[in-house]
Amino acid sequence: MSGSLNILVLIKQVPDTSSKAGLNPDGTIDRAKAKRMLNPFDRFALQAALHSKKVTNGKVTALSMGPPPAVEILLEAIEHGVDKGFLLSDRRLAASDTLATAYALHKVIQHLGPFDLIFTGLQTTDGDTAQVGPQIAERLNLPQVTYCEDFSIEGGKLHARRIVEGGHQTVVSEFPALVTVANAYHHLEYKTIRGARLVQELQRNEELKAQYIQTITLDDVGADPELCGLKGSPTIVAHTDKVGQIGGRCVMHQGKSIEMLVNEIAAGTNIKEFVRQ
Amino acid sequence: MSDMDKIKYNLLLVGGSSSNLALAHRLIALAKASGQQLSIAILEKGREFGSHIVSGAVSNPHVIKKLFPDYMENGFPIEGVCTESFFSVMGAYKKWDAPRNLMPAEFKKEGYLILTLSNVIGWMANRLKEEVKDIPNVTIDFFPGFSAHEVIYDGSRVMGVRVSHTENPMDDYIYADVTVFGDKGFLSQDVLKNFDLRKNAQLWSVGVKELWEIPQDLSNKVWHTMGYPVLDGTFGGGFVYGMKNNRLTIGLILSLDSPNPDINPQQRLQDFKKHPWIQSLIQEGRLIKYGAALLPEGGYYSLPEKFAVDGAIIVGDALGTLNQRTLSGVDMAMECGYQAAEVLIEAFRDGDYSQAKLNQFQKRLNNTFVIKDLYESRYFRQAFNENPRLLNSYLPTVAKAVDDGNPMVGMLKVGLSNPFRAPFDGLRVLSLFSGTKDIGPVRYKKCHEHIQPDFQAPAMQNGQPFNKDTIYSREDAVFYANTRYHEGNMHIDEFEATTCMRCISRYSDQGKLPPCVNDCTAEVHRVDEIDNVRKHGMSLENCIQCRTCEIVCPEENLRVNPTAQGSGPDFAGL
Ligand SMILES: Cc1cc2nc3c(=O)[nH]c(=O)nc-3n(C[C@H](O)[C@H](O)[C@H](O)COP(=O)(O)OP(=O)(O)OC[C@H]3O[C@@H](n4cnc5c(N)ncnc54)[C@H](O)[C@@H]3O)c2cc1C
Ligand code: SF4
Ligand code: SF4
Repeated sequence: MSGSLNILVLIKQVPDTSSKAGLNPDGTIDRAKAKRMLNPFDRFALQAALHSKKVTNGKVTALSMGPPPAVEILLEAIEHGVDKGFLLSDRRLAASDTLATAYALHKVIQHLGPFDLIFTGLQTTDGDTAQVGPQIAERLNLPQVTYCEDFSIEGGKLHARRIVEGGHQTVVSEFPALVTVANAYHHLEYKTIRGARLVQELQRNEELKAQYIQTITLDDVGADPELCGLKGSPTIVAHTDKVGQIGGRCVMHQGKSIEMLVNEIAAGTNIKEFVRQ
Repeated sequence: MSDMDKIKYNLLLVGGSSSNLALAHRLIALAKASGQQLSIAILEKGREFGSHIVSGAVSNPHVIKKLFPDYMENGFPIEGVCTESFFSVMGAYKKWDAPRNLMPAEFKKEGYLILTLSNVIGWMANRLKEEVKDIPNVTIDFFPGFSAHEVIYDGSRVMGVRVSHTENPMDDYIYADVTVFGDKGFLSQDVLKNFDLRKNAQLWSVGVKELWEIPQDLSNKVWHTMGYPVLDGTFGGGFVYGMKNNRLTIGLILSLDSPNPDINPQQRLQDFKKHPWIQSLIQEGRLIKYGAALLPEGGYYSLPEKFAVDGAIIVGDALGTLNQRTLSGVDMAMECGYQAAEVLIEAFRDGDYSQAKLNQFQKRLNNTFVIKDLYESRYFRQAFNENPRLLNSYLPTVAKAVDDGNPMVGMLKVGLSNPFRAPFDGLRVLSLFSGTKDIGPVRYKKCHEHIQPDFQAPAMQNGQPFNKDTIYSREDAVFYANTRYHEGNMHIDEFEATTCMRCISRYSDQGKLPPCVNDCTAEVHRVDEIDNVRKHGMSLENCIQCRTCEIVCPEENLRVNPTAQGSGPDFAGL
C-alpha cells in the first residue's frame, strides 16, 4: 500500500464532434459557435486519476488550458470526483502549438506541484498530435509512461502496461511520473450524486466555486509570454485540404429499415465485386 | 455514518414527471411567499428531463392555466389547440366518423391543448431552474441521469432512496424529510406493497406511438378510433393527432388485461398504419420517432387506500389517477402535484412528516376534479370486463358494417342479432359509463390472469394495399427509439430460469411464444434453444423501458428496474 498520492490530470475542452454547430463551409471550426465537450481521450486519463485517488486515498487536481468556457469541463471533472480544478486562461496563449502549450502547462505544474502522478489523455480530437504529454514530462524531467492501457500502484511504485507495436510492455516507475493513458484503459465511471450535487452548489455560490476552481494566467505562474501563443509556436500550418474535396466515390445508403437498406445496397452495387468466390 | 456526510434534502422528488415538476413549481411559489427554507432534489432516470416520457397528448388546459397563467405567451411548448375532433370506428378498409350527436362527450376535445409531453417536461425543468434563482430560501438540485433504485425505510418511515452502487455507500443514498414518488410505479410499487396499500389490482395498458413528418398540414385535428386493428376482444383504440410543422402522432393504446397472449403492440400499430386512411396520411411521410409506455387503467377502484405514508407521498400514474374514459392523465398528474405542494408547505412549516399530516393530500385530492372524475368513471372498465360481447362481438359487427358502408345498419344488426341482450347491454353500459348506476365496488384480476394460452385470435383482415416503406419491424422500430445503454447494464431481473422454461413449453404446446416475447414493444425477449433446451433470453440493449413484459408475464417472473446512468431510450420530441 502506498501513501496518499497527489495526482494531477490534464484535460482539454474540444469542439463536440457529434454536432455540426460551428462548422464553417470550408470545413474549419468556429470555436465560438461550436458545441463543446471534454476531449474523449481525456476521459480515460480522468478515470486513471480517479482510480489512483481511490486506491491510494489520494487527491486529484484537474488542470486545463483554454478560453473561459473550459471551466465547464472542470465542473464535469468535479462531478466525477475530482477535488479541485485549475484553468490556465490567457489571451496570450491563443494559437499555441504543442511546444508552446507544453511550455505553459509545465510552468503551471511547477507552480501548483509537486505531484506524484500526472495523467494526460493520449491525444486530443482537435489536434491529434499526442505530443503534449511527453513534452511536459521532458520539461519537468519526469519519467514518462506513454500509451498506458492499465496500471497498478504497488509498493510505492507504478506498474504499468503499455501498448507497443505488436504487443504489450510492462514497465515499473518510481513516483513522480507522467502517464499518457490509452483509450484501451477503463471507461470513465459515471458521475456521482455527491459530485453532481457539489457542482450545482458551486453554480449557485461563486465564493465556494472559487475554492474549487481557480482561473490563472501566465503571470500567476511566471511563464514567459514570448514562449507562448503564436510567438512561441514554430509550427506553421501551410495549408489544409478538405477531405471531401479530394474526390473518390462514396455513396451513403440511408435506408429506413434493414430490409430497405439491403435492397438499396443490392440495387445500387454489384455485390459480387465484394464477395470472394 | 455521521449525519454531516449524508446526502440529505428536505424534499426528494423521484421522477422528473408531470406531477413532480408541477409540484415543485407550486411549492417554490408557496415557499417564496412564506419564506420557508427548502432544499429539493429531483431524480430523473432519463439522461435529460423528458427523454423517458411518452404520452399523446391532448389535454384539458385547466391545470396548466392554473400553474402558468401566461402559458400562451411564455414559451410553454404547445403543438396546437384542437379545433376539430372525431370519434371514428375503423373497419379494415374504411373509417366512419361518428356524427357529432352520437359522439361520446369525452371524445370532444375542442379547445384542448395538443402537447408533446417530453418537450413540456424539458420546458418545465428549465423554467424551474430559472424560477428558483429568485428565491434565496429555496435550492433545487436537478439530477437527470440518476434513478432511484431502492426505497430506504426506517421502521414504517420512508427515509429516502438508494441511487447508485459505488464502492462508497455514503455516496449512494439520498435521504429526505419527504420523498414524493411520481415515477409511474417503477419503484413506488414497492412502497404500495410494503404497506399493503393497494388492495385491488391495478390494470395497465400499453401505449405505442410513432411521430411522423407528413406532407400535409393536419394541425389541430384530433381523432380517437375504435375497431380495426383491435378486434380480438382486447380493450383499446387508436389516436391520431395533427401537430404543427407537418407532424403527426399515430398511436394505439392496448389494455394488457386481454385474453390474447400475443398482443404485440408495436406490430399492431403497424397494422393500424396499413389502414387506407392512415396510409393516405403517411404515404409520403417520414418516421421520426417511436416509443411506448404504460398507462394505469384501473381508475377509482385501483387507487391505494392511502396516498401517503410516513415520509412519503405518491402522485400521478404511480397513484393511478389517469382517467381511461377521457384519456386524461396529464392534467390529473399535474393536479396531484399542485395539491401535494399545498400539503407539503404546511408539513415543512410544522416539521411534521407523519402519514397523518402528509395524507391530507388524499383529503384535498378527493375534493378536486381528479377523484370526482375517477369516481364518475369508476365502472368504465368494468362495463367491458363484465360483458366481453361489447368488444369481441358488437364492435367487430359495427366495424364490418363500416367496411360495408352502413355503420348505422351495423348498429341495428347488433340489436337484431340479439334482441333481448343487446338493448339491455346498451343501457347497462351507458349507465355504467356515466356512473349513474351503482353496483358497489368492483375487483380486478391482475392483467396477466386474463391471458389464455389457448386463445384463438380472430383472423385479422389485412388485405389492404399499403406502402411497405411506411411499415417497420420491431427490430427496426428500436432504432427510432434511440436507445443507448452503458456497459454492463442489467436492468431487467428474471427471477427463476426454470419458471421460464416451464412457461415456454406451455406456450410452445400451443404453437406459441410466451407473452414476454410477443408483447415486448422493442425486441428484447426471445426464446433461445441451447442444447435442445428452450430458454428465455433478453437483448437488454433494445429495451425502451415500457414495463409491458413485467405486467404480462403470467408467472410474475420479471421485474423491469429503472436503468442507471441515464441509459435507455431517448424520447425527446416524441
Ligand atoms: C401513449 C400514451 C398516450 C397518452 N395520451 C394522453 C393524452 O392524450 N392525454 C393525457 O392527458 N394523458 C395521456 N397519457 C397519460 C399521461 O401521459 C400520463 O398520465 C402522465 O404523463 C402521468 O404523469 P406522471 O406525473 O404520473 O408521470 P410521467 O409524466 O409519466 O413521468 C414519470 C417520470 O418518472 C421517471 N422515473 C420513473 N421511475 C424513476 C426512478 N426510479 N428514478 C428516477 N426517475 C424515474 C420517468 O423516467 C419519467 O420521466 C398518455 C400516455 C401514454 C403512454
Ligand atoms: S419471463 Fe415470464 S412470460 Fe417470459 S418466458 Fe419467463 S415466465 Fe414466461
Ligand atoms: S423488455 Fe419489457 S420493458 Fe423493455 S421494451 Fe420490452 S416490454 Fe418494454
